Amino acid sequence: MSHDTPSAAPSLTTERLCLRGHRLSDFDAYAAFYASERATHIGGPYTPSRAWASFAADLGHWVLMGFGWWIVTDKGDPGSHPLGTVGLHCPPNHPEPEIGWTLFAGAEGKGFAHEAAAGVLAWGWQHRIATSLVSYIAPANARSIALAERLGAHLDAVAPKPAHAPDVLVYRHSVPAEVCS
Amino acid sequence: MTLAANHTGHPAIETERLRLRAFRPGDDAAMIAFYASESSAFYGGPCEANDAWRKAAVYPGHWALRGYGPFALEERASGRFVGLCGPWFPLGFPEPEITWMLVEDARGQGFAVEAARAALAFAYATLGWVRAVSCINPDNTPSLRLAERLGAVHEYDTAVGSTPVGVWRHAVPAALETSP
Repeated sequence: MSHDTPSAAPSLTTERLCLRGHRLSDFDAYAAFYASERATHIGGPYTPSRAWASFAADLGHWVLMGFGWWIVTDKGDPGSHPLGTVGLHCPPNHPEPEIGWTLFAGAEGKGFAHEAAAGVLAWGWQHRIATSLVSYIAPANARSIALAERLGAHLDAVAPKPAHAPDVLVYRHSVPAEVCS
Repeated sequence: MTLAANHTGHPAIETERLRLRAFRPGDDAAMIAFYASESSAFYGGPCEANDAWRKAAVYPGHWALRGYGPFALEERASGRFVGLCGPWFPLGFPEPEITWMLVEDARGQGFAVEAARAALAFAYATLGWVRAVSCINPDNTPSLRLAERLGAVHEYDTAVGSTPVGVWRHAVPAALETSP
């Protein structure tokens, strides 16, 4: 890791989105998502206290690792309301750094997750946060599998899996040539 | 006690033997080791590395969300991470409190009282708190003794999640400064 790694999420803009750091005002939407059945693919549902700890840890990831999570917003929205999260993370039980994404209720079906994830992948490679990136996806999570494939990732049947989730599928993102060299 | 700030604006405090500073890379490894031991029993442990890492990451995240939070404690003489202490107000707590935690081999040397006095002074003088408490599990005898030594008095009982806690109200600033 280089010495100038950020300790907070830098704002990134894509065609339609602004990706920014978590704010306390985002928490209710985050907690509602993690309390819902839609969070079952990613370890949920969470109680509000657990969601708060997870929300804070998403921020702390930046301080401890130099990369982490963003809140996805519509860049034309003056209220900057949270639409979901996207991020790069590498907790101890992950064999490799992962790019993950969630969209909150009502934000699906517009290509936002793809646009946000593509922006974060580009940032991650540009900042050399890792030499490999994967996405760990529950086999029943068809929408995330489709998104991983749309991002150019391929199923890696021999990749090591997180010990706590031996049934996940590992989608490996292709490494740009300049990162390999 | 001296108050300074690092390059990101995060305050740091030096006491006689300790540095209260921002969490940084490397502290997570010390927290994982702490949470692997029974000495973490009053802090939601023991637990495996992944859960311990997430607990560690909450502290710098709390700073980002609240604008304050627990400091990492570093022994000035050795530079080693010995625990954490400071203002703490995650969701589910009855009110903002001063929390503390020492790794096992840093206990019994008065580090907690030294850190807690500095954290209380920071909360009153810098954050403008007019009231400070600590929420303590009634079975956590060392922390109960520390609260008494700091001049705190038991005020009421409640629960944080499913854990019963006693809420101890700390002495006001004037009394803190004159305590032995």
